[in-house]
Amino acid sequence: MNKNYIILTILMLVLAVGTIFLNREEEPKQIEPSKLLQEIIQPTRYVTTDQVAKMIIKGDPGLMLVDVRSNSEFEEFSLPNSVNIPLDSLLTGDNLSYFGIPGTQVVFISDDAIKADQCWVLTKRLGLNSTYVMLGGLNKWMETIIDPQQPSDDEPYTVHETYSFRKGAQMYFTGAEAEVGGSKVKVEVRRKEKTTVAAGGC
Amino acid sequence: MHIHELNPWRTLIALSVFVVLLIVGFLTMKKPLMSYQLNMTQSVEELTESEAYFFPWELEGVINKETTDVVLFDIRNNFVFGQGHIPGAENISANNLSSEENIARLEELKKMNVTVVLYGDDELHANGPWMLFRQVGYDNVKLLLGGYKYYFEHKEDLAATIDDDGYYIGFPRHNYAEMAAPKDGSAAGTSNERQEVQVQRRKKTVVAAGGC
Amino acid sequence: MGPLIPNGIIGGGWDFVIAILIGVAFGFILEASGFSSSRNLAGVFYGYNFVVLRVFFTALIVAMVGIIYFDFLGWLDLSKIFILPTFLTPMIVGGVIMGFGFIIGGYCPGTSFTGIAIGKLDAVFFTVGLYLGIFAFSLAYPLFEGFFTSGALGNVTLTDVTGIPAHWFALAFTVVALAAFWGTMFIEKRVRKNMKQYKF
Repeated sequence: MNKNYIILTILMLVLAVGTIFLNREEEPKQIEPSKLLQEIIQPTRYVTTDQVAKMIIKGDPGLMLVDVRSNSEFEEFSLPNSVNIPLDSLLTGDNLSYFGIPGTQVVFISDDAIKADQCWVLTKRLGLNSTYVMLGGLNKWMETIIDPQQPSDDEPYTVHETYSFRKGAQMYFTGAEAEVGGSKVKVEVRRKEKTTVAAGGC
Repeated sequence: MHIHELNPWRTLIALSVFVVLLIVGFLTMKKPLMSYQLNMTQSVEELTESEAYFFPWELEGVINKETTDVVLFDIRNNFVFGQGHIPGAENISANNLSSEENIARLEELKKMNVTVVLYGDDELHANGPWMLFRQVGYDNVKLLLGGYKYYFEHKEDLAATIDDDGYYIGFPRHNYAEMAAPKDGSAAGTSNERQEVQVQRRKKTVVAAGGC
Repeated sequence: MGPLIPNGIIGGGWDFVIAILIGVAFGFILEASGFSSSRNLAGVFYGYNFVVLRVFFTALIVAMVGIIYFDFLGWLDLSKIFILPTFLTPMIVGGVIMGFGFIIGGYCPGTSFTGIAIGKLDAVFFTVGLYLGIFAFSLAYPLFEGFFTSGALGNVTLTDVTGIPAHWFALAFTVVALAAFWGTMFIEKRVRKNMKQYKF
């Protein structure tokens, strides 16, 4: 009987027992807090209502709208093709499997951007990428896309350009009649594509 | 003992090297600056806790130096801070939030039971950092509702804002369904005939292939 | 930090270089442990030499415990490690076939190459048979295909299936292995006492 064998056995046992005391994260994978903070302070996650409208109109296949308002609010009104995941049930079921699919961009939508932003922080903590927040939320959506205000004549050209796009988008989303004559802006959605101010957005 | 049997000495040496390697690993392991104290579920619940928010009318006491256990952190950049800020606020721009000194300071303030109020341009601006700090365990960090914008508009009569609810955001200000109803005369029911949304779900991650 | 290639620490082109280095080291250890001798290898089935069991179990428990520590220390990301897909019944059948081949031939595939390296004739025949078998299987693959791919469980681990954390399995395997070391030591002694001759 070799004494070394006994030492070896004890050493190996100690090592194996030691693994039990390594406190391991049973949580799903998360990114480090300092990394998360770096991501948070960058405003790259924000997309405007115009960009979202453009992507919907173009039928961007990689776009996924996630509505984080409550179920009843979602039933009342929602953007076309959006999915309802209320913030408080974000972690339930397999709701998380909606996010982080390569090639898709998830845009969070809420009344204002605040809830959507909170959702973004939570999903980002789990390391899920290509998620975005619609700035201003549905309130802004109503003010800009559904009911755009005509800018005064002395506004710069780009403002009128945006307005013309919004007018077109308004038609697309509500079926509103185009104002015949009077306004110099042509309500044409297609044309806007050529200008590509910020096509794709995200 | 045959030559082809395990040499216990060599095995012992090899295993000792292994143990030394592990010990070196444990000794050199860096403790991260921050680590999550709340799990995901707790983090979601945290958002609905009113304790975590700081109301604009509470600022009155802070500015008049009546409440001393509150520190204001302005996370806007230096330039805007110089143009105007809440009296008594410290400027820690977003980029410096995760610096070692800042974390040490937060730690110290937490020990002293001092409330840290974060504010940015608006509520959204400070929302992310506020969520993160609460998730890593600084439960003395609060978020100023309305942000600097609301303060600036009401700085003359902050105490009066106790009856105002203009700083609340995150609720519909328009009747969406009515506003977005089709205007071509057809029945207002587009949202009802919503089709089943086709979505893709992430599959279980299959990691780099390989094998033996 | 690791795994090195999936994490982009070294380029993907290095995988063959690393494979060669690890292969050389593996072959060296196999030969140094006496695995080029079919008597040594088959001894585990007759009870007079358990070196195979000792070497492989030692390697297994050290690697297993080591990986768990490395994961904790942040040196190796366990979630990025490739896990062989499991096909339940084909794997059991394959294991039985391999076991029979092991007893009859006196080698397993890897050790037969170390046998060739030191010029063992039986190892050469074993390897020729190995390749003939692979060739025959490839030709007859359409016949086996249904069975070959049956019982697919995907890239699962015991932790995925049972929900028991990996370190409990590590501890259990270590205890079993250590018990096996001591148990086989006594078996070895008794069997060798009754053997008329014992040489390699």
